[in-house]
Amino acid sequence: MSIGILQSGEADKPALPSSITTRTGTRHAKTVPTLCEMCVNKCAAIARVEEGLVTKLDPNPLFPKSRNMLCPRGNAGIQALYDPDRIKQPLIRIGERGDGKFKAVSWEEAYEAILNGTDRFKGLAQILDEEKDNRSTIGYCAGEGMAEHTFRTFLADKLGSSNFVNHASVCLQTTVSGHALTLGGYGTADLANAEYVIMAGANRAEAIITPDTMDLFKRTKGRGATLICVDPRFTNTAAKADRWVPVRAGTDLAFVLALTYVAMEEERYSKAFVREHAHGFEEYKEHILHNRYTPEWAEKITGIPADTIRTISREFMRHAPKAIYYQGRRSTFSIQDFQLRRAQALFSAMGGGVDVKGGIIFGKKLPLGKHEINAPMYANAGERIDKGVAAIIGGSGSWIGWRNRILEGKTPYPVRAMFTYKQNPMLTIPNTAKTRQLFEKMDLVVTIDTMPGDTVIMSDVVLPESTYLEREDPVRSFGGAEPAIALRQKVVEPLYETRPVAEILKGLAQTLTLPLWKITQKYDEDVQEEIEGKKPEEIEAYYRENGFDLTDMFRHSQEEINREMVISKWGEAAWKTLREKGVFYPEMATGFRQLGANVFQYYPEEKKYYSVRKGSFATPSKKIEFILPNMAKKGLDAMPAWREEMHVKTPKGKFKFLTGRHAQFTQNGTANNAVLLDLIHENHLWINKRKAKEMGIAFGDMVEVRSRVGAVTIKAYPTEEIAPDTLFFVHGFGAQSDALSLAYHNGAADNVIIEDVIEPYFGAAAMHTTIVEIRRV
Amino acid sequence: MARYGMALDYKNCINCKACEVACKEENGVLLGADKHRIWVGVNEVKGEWPLLDIVSSTFMPSQCQHCEEAPCQMVCPTQATYYDDNHVVRVDSDKCILCSYCMNACPYDARYVDDRTVTVDKCTFCSDTRLARGETTTACQNTCPTKVRTFGDLDDPESEISILLRTREHFSLKAHLGTKPKLFYLT
Repeated sequence: MSIGILQSGEADKPALPSSITTRTGTRHAKTVPTLCEMCVNKCAAIARVEEGLVTKLDPNPLFPKSRNMLCPRGNAGIQALYDPDRIKQPLIRIGERGDGKFKAVSWEEAYEAILNGTDRFKGLAQILDEEKDNRSTIGYCAGEGMAEHTFRTFLADKLGSSNFVNHASVCLQTTVSGHALTLGGYGTADLANAEYVIMAGANRAEAIITPDTMDLFKRTKGRGATLICVDPRFTNTAAKADRWVPVRAGTDLAFVLALTYVAMEEERYSKAFVREHAHGFEEYKEHILHNRYTPEWAEKITGIPADTIRTISREFMRHAPKAIYYQGRRSTFSIQDFQLRRAQALFSAMGGGVDVKGGIIFGKKLPLGKHEINAPMYANAGERIDKGVAAIIGGSGSWIGWRNRILEGKTPYPVRAMFTYKQNPMLTIPNTAKTRQLFEKMDLVVTIDTMPGDTVIMSDVVLPESTYLEREDPVRSFGGAEPAIALRQKVVEPLYETRPVAEILKGLAQTLTLPLWKITQKYDEDVQEEIEGKKPEEIEAYYRENGFDLTDMFRHSQEEINREMVISKWGEAAWKTLREKGVFYPEMATGFRQLGANVFQYYPEEKKYYSVRKGSFATPSKKIEFILPNMAKKGLDAMPAWREEMHVKTPKGKFKFLTGRHAQFTQNGTANNAVLLDLIHENHLWINKRKAKEMGIAFGDMVEVRSRVGAVTIKAYPTEEIAPDTLFFVHGFGAQSDALSLAYHNGAADNVIIEDVIEPYFGAAAMHTTIVEIRRV
Repeated sequence: MARYGMALDYKNCINCKACEVACKEENGVLLGADKHRIWVGVNEVKGEWPLLDIVSSTFMPSQCQHCEEAPCQMVCPTQATYYDDNHVVRVDSDKCILCSYCMNACPYDARYVDDRTVTVDKCTFCSDTRLARGETTTACQNTCPTKVRTFGDLDDPESEISILLRTREHFSLKAHLGTKPKLFYLT
């Protein structure tokens, strides 16, 4: 319990509730509208504050995205604030990396340690001096969040490193890119109006996304929308579906290709839509028919009966264009995932269900003002190191490819420092052993977090972030059929010595700016040329005018920036509304109405933004891209095709391992939340009941699950709700940090056993291709 | 003065348990599955993979049924269990002697022991929290992502719940016992 003990108790004791669940009172309370951060959805909440304590989080009915709801995690957000294990002060490592020995320090001491190191680790000044001002020697990563942009902008544009990786390549990269390159946008599924929805792999009853979850499940079971759930597991989504289609894990692409084949062969697609809006449709049709992607062919691969495939294809097209093959979010199930998402998008498009009510829609986003950054140029900063690990590497990189290049020593220059924010790579990136090696290899690890999780334990300097109830974040515009702007604002003052990210970085910038500018002057020939022969005051002016002053990004507070971003576009009254109500959109004053205890109108029907493209999609051809010739130039498939050699088969006697979510947990971010742990104490291994019996495994037995990269032990949960050759346990458990008193050694961590396999298009982690063996222990 | 009841569009329920957390946070209910004022009953799916009977799998959100003929109230020897002015079945913890007759009498297993007061506790329709503040929804209704619950006055013919019960088929749990629950499950 190293962290807890070493935090000093000098500061005034904050007001804390006396029990985990408080009770709301009947006297006057302060209410503050804000946005939830218990997952990435950002639902609108109203915090109730009584005598300085947050006693309840209620849904804010004004926000069209979350439609007056908070899920169990949203309700349990109070525990994020009052968790006794929170990081309460900046910390500096005093033991060996990973042993969890830290001392509590002031912010100034922490910043000083980042600049100059200690006897335990090196500082940025030494590292950048040794690397001759190659700023890209600093790696950095972030999870999704409202301040991710602030963090990234500081590290990229001000500090000058190109080596950023974020959650995308372990999450939604392939489905976002698959839809964007095909339809011109990932879009949102209009589940409030769709009549037929195929949801494959996605699990909206458990992996809640707003408004999708709320819109869909009020309408399934013969009540307006037919839901087809395709999954090797009988999830809660399957339970709420009209038809559950068990599929062999990793074979969804064959299923979609066969759906497409049926529609092509029987000519059931929307000829009008294809004629107007398709690019390369005839080639695709020829390709699908020529390759004989028949239902009988797909049955052998997927295990789904050919008749079922025919029926679903016909039903889908009968309901089109109000028919959606749901895009999904955390994707990359298999190495073929990008083409799976392309094939899904094309199938939806063949029905005409794109940019129309009841289909995949793009909606509108309300503009906000801009916050300009004066970005300096560093001549010696190298290019990102993961170019080439896959065909297309964008600004958010390939986490696995990036990490592995560093470990394999295949980088053109060393990456020696690592900054992490709102991401816990020790538990979120496949193959934990390698992530540990990455952190061990670093000369400096700086982590910004609220909780002392596994990555914090691997850090040298820990900078405690205020929880979402203690800070204001950058204002955000939420697009869709019913767009709105919403604000996360401070509910209570920070309980401890914590800061919002912008203030954490502001302090860091103040410490770093002049010493690092000296290093730039020493090694940067472009800068040397510019300042040669100049007087000190001219050099200082150059430093300021060209953005080398790292502090200029933080001249204004977050509150001031938010105000300006809103007022510049929408005026003072809008800003006042946003502050008071938490939500603003121009039609709110006239369009918002409560129609019943549970029903709200946000926009009148005729003002919703269902169709916005006006026949011109945001793709190079302005049409739906059935063929992508550029992919062929990279040696990849221009059209979705089944690649047998890319399909990982499950050998007899072994299992394919799947991971996923449930509604009471948001990955490892909620692993120490007492209220949520009360609902689900630990994760269990789903194993088919008959298979378990055959192997002598009963409920609660400890089972070792071993892959090529690691092994975990976990309690068994025999059930008929999973295929006999497949195993599953939910993500987010199995923390190794003993500073998390509830999460420590609780259940098993999936990424210890998931192999680090990436798909060839974007280098995204293929998470459902790991083969495992099990034994009772 | 009202006669409060609740209609549950139970097919909407995805078993996310938002209602359970909202109830615990609003009413200060202690942690622990044995101390739930409300819960979601799960009927596990029948069959063998891949032939599972999808309709056999249901989620049944439940809580105190606030029976008009409440067995818990009838058996209470100290009149600790009573009907308040709004016909809500309540427990007066000052009078409760923890004889646990009510817990045995309740056909819905809706009662538990609060370890702090060492008396019996149960759903109150948020009477001393939300309703006492003049709010018109319970915590479980308000937070629900799929809007399972509609709470309201059964005596008001124009209330949403009255309209729902007039226009939608519905059933009660264990209706044959004659307890006359004021929770109605919409079909």
